[in-house]
Amino acid sequence: MVCRKIAQGLSRAVDTFGAQSRIQCARTARRSLQLPTTRSISTTVSRPAEIETEAQEPFTAAKPFDFEADDGENGAKGGQNILRTLRVVPASPSYFSAKPTFTDDFLSLSALLRKVATLPTIPNAEAPKVAWKTVEQYRIMTNEPVKTQRFHKMLHILRRLNCIHPQLMPQEVVEAMKRYKKPSQPGDVKPKPGVIDELGRAKGVGRRKTSSAVAWLVEGEGEVLINGQSLTEYFGRLHHRESAVWALKATGRLDKYNLFGLVEGGGSTGQAEAMTLAVAKALMVHEPALKPALRRAGCITRDPRKVERKKPGHIKARKMPTWVKR
Amino acid sequence: MPSANCLRSFSQLSLDATAHSTAASRFLQPRVACFSTSAARHANPQMKKKGMTAAPKKGVKTLNTKKSKGASNNDMGKRPAQGERKAQRKRIVLSNNNALEVSSLKDLSKANVLSEANQGLVMGLPEPVVDALRDVEAFKTTQGWSFFRRPAVLMRKEAIQLVQLFKEAEDSAAGATKRTIRRILTGERKGGKSTLLLQGLSTAFLRQWFVINLPECQDIVNAHTDYAPLEGSKPIQYTQDTYTAGLLSQTLKANKAYFEKATITQKHELPVTLPAKAKLKDLVAIGIANAEASWPVFKALWTELSQPGQPQILLAAEGLSHIMQNSEYMNADVKRIHAHDLTIVRHFVDHLSGAKQLPNGGMVLAATSKSNAPTSPALDFRIKSAEALKTKTELPQWNPYTAVDMRTMDALKDLSDPKADLDVLEVGGLSKEEARSIMEYYAESGMLRHQVNDSFVTEKWSLAGMGNIGELEKNSVRTRL
Repeated sequence: MVCRKIAQGLSRAVDTFGAQSRIQCARTARRSLQLPTTRSISTTVSRPAEIETEAQEPFTAAKPFDFEADDGENGAKGGQNILRTLRVVPASPSYFSAKPTFTDDFLSLSALLRKVATLPTIPNAEAPKVAWKTVEQYRIMTNEPVKTQRFHKMLHILRRLNCIHPQLMPQEVVEAMKRYKKPSQPGDVKPKPGVIDELGRAKGVGRRKTSSAVAWLVEGEGEVLINGQSLTEYFGRLHHRESAVWALKATGRLDKYNLFGLVEGGGSTGQAEAMTLAVAKALMVHEPALKPALRRAGCITRDPRKVERKKPGHIKARKMPTWVKR
Repeated sequence: MPSANCLRSFSQLSLDATAHSTAASRFLQPRVACFSTSAARHANPQMKKKGMTAAPKKGVKTLNTKKSKGASNNDMGKRPAQGERKAQRKRIVLSNNNALEVSSLKDLSKANVLSEANQGLVMGLPEPVVDALRDVEAFKTTQGWSFFRRPAVLMRKEAIQLVQLFKEAEDSAAGATKRTIRRILTGERKGGKSTLLLQGLSTAFLRQWFVINLPECQDIVNAHTDYAPLEGSKPIQYTQDTYTAGLLSQTLKANKAYFEKATITQKHELPVTLPAKAKLKDLVAIGIANAEASWPVFKALWTELSQPGQPQILLAAEGLSHIMQNSEYMNADVKRIHAHDLTIVRHFVDHLSGAKQLPNGGMVLAATSKSNAPTSPALDFRIKSAEALKTKTELPQWNPYTAVDMRTMDALKDLSDPKADLDVLEVGGLSKEEARSIMEYYAESGMLRHQVNDSFVTEKWSLAGMGNIGELEKNSVRTRL
């Protein structure tokens, strides 16, 4: 019975070795190309003294063990002997650290950065927007308790890599960064571009609070109809009127378009500000170049605020009943 | 066995909760068992009562019934005198010394008031006309006269249409058939209906017509003045002596030039005796002085005006929907009296509906209101059908589930008739040129501190709901942004 257990364990060990060595092969091959590597975790420039003392160990994984070689002589007993003398060398040098995958990732990234450090960069603000994985997602991916601070150090390297001039970005870096990006990136989902229909109308939809608005914009001379009524009839406050046509007013286009709007839901403030968004979207169909100006005017971003729900035990969303001593 | 001390403290527990609260509060507040330590949630918070302070440590607390001068009665300012605040509210200010004089402003005159060349210009109102308009209460407190140096009006498209009607009326007065032109001014709120009526009145004053203006129809029907059944009328009608006397006095003041010359040519039956060689002015003065004679005097005045050779008459009223329904007055059976049973209203409505024609020609103008208007479904229906006739769209159907006021329906039936000459005059938005003209006037008066260029005019024009003049004034003169 004992014998059978040992045999099972052995076969399992051999299996895992085989599998690991296959996975690590590519990595070791890459590492051999990227010599010399340092072990330091920090991204700061290492001091020259350290560099002198650090010996660069050439590292190779253990060869797959050949059980068949001795088979002819000793049979099964020979195999056991070899196993007894076997010293398993792990595939990765960070195998004995607490977070081997993270350490490997970090080291490979810092090595990559060292390699491409001389390439020209662009400012961070102009670099393409990337949604990196959060520390939680990374922890789940690696199944290691990675510290947030360490992860952020890695993110620093990634952001630096992202700042390489896009035209000179090596394929290697692109591949390496892919591992740390979220599956969906900002700008992945592109809305369908609006069209001007055969009557010259451009449509836009906007929402705010519980109101939603649809606006049609045609070239004209500044006439506005909202739900079939004029602007003054529909919106009593001057503030609301200005809000409704703010996209046109802020870009100086009030006298160039006619506007038809349909608004529903909510109160007058919500309706007016829903119109702002709808008009801005319709205007962008006519003149896409106005987008930055409209963004500066605050007509692009949907205000996500809504009424906060009431909670049990509260009188309103947050108000608690009066505290009574007895 | 528990000690006596222990029992006493237990009983004390329930006592001390009741000891400090009064009997009343015990009933109001939920009682909580003393041995429960959980807080009573949602309990009414205990208000501190005033004057329930503890007894002073030293001395005696005495009853002080005098009003304390310091704390409660801080403002010792002078209270406004009786009627002062109402006078302030009703005051009509027609000039603003801080506004600049507009050098390019030309006055309307008898010669140029009927010319179409005035279209799109801002024209000043001459002094005597302003006085007359003040006498007939044509200016309203809600209008922006107080922003400018002196009253001026924009000769908009609708004003020119109105002026052409005046010209038609004058032309026909020279011929054999004397036309009575009847118009109802409608349009959106703040669109300038009252101001257009004022322009009509000023044109009539300038052209030396005889003007009778009912400044606010609400005042006739809201039962604030006395009324009495008219003897010998069937179905019974009601006179309003005080109101009629006031109307006579306004008419006398406004048409001063006419009354200077007018004489009595007919024999009138009056409850008071007229002095010999009395002029028409004296007749009206009698009506003003003796309120009970005011309605016979009004009828006598009308008879005089009906004689050939007298001037054309402008009958005007503001707030039409008030007189197109039941009034607030009650009859002997405590039922509402229909507004058309009041003699003054009847007189106006007969001429508006075409039941009677103005003997020497003239015009009947009625302005509707959108802000102070009781619902009058019949009036709304008639106006809608008149608009449908104008735009050649389908005539509206009467909603059979609304109560119909047949007297209003009949009085305004000419509105639904394309051949009849009762019509609506729709007061819409200004055109951009007119808006520019009036805004230049604002800027020249110093009330609008902005360069008046195309983009600015269009912006204000759009924000004012496609040229609604009231909103335009509100946006550019009243609110400084």
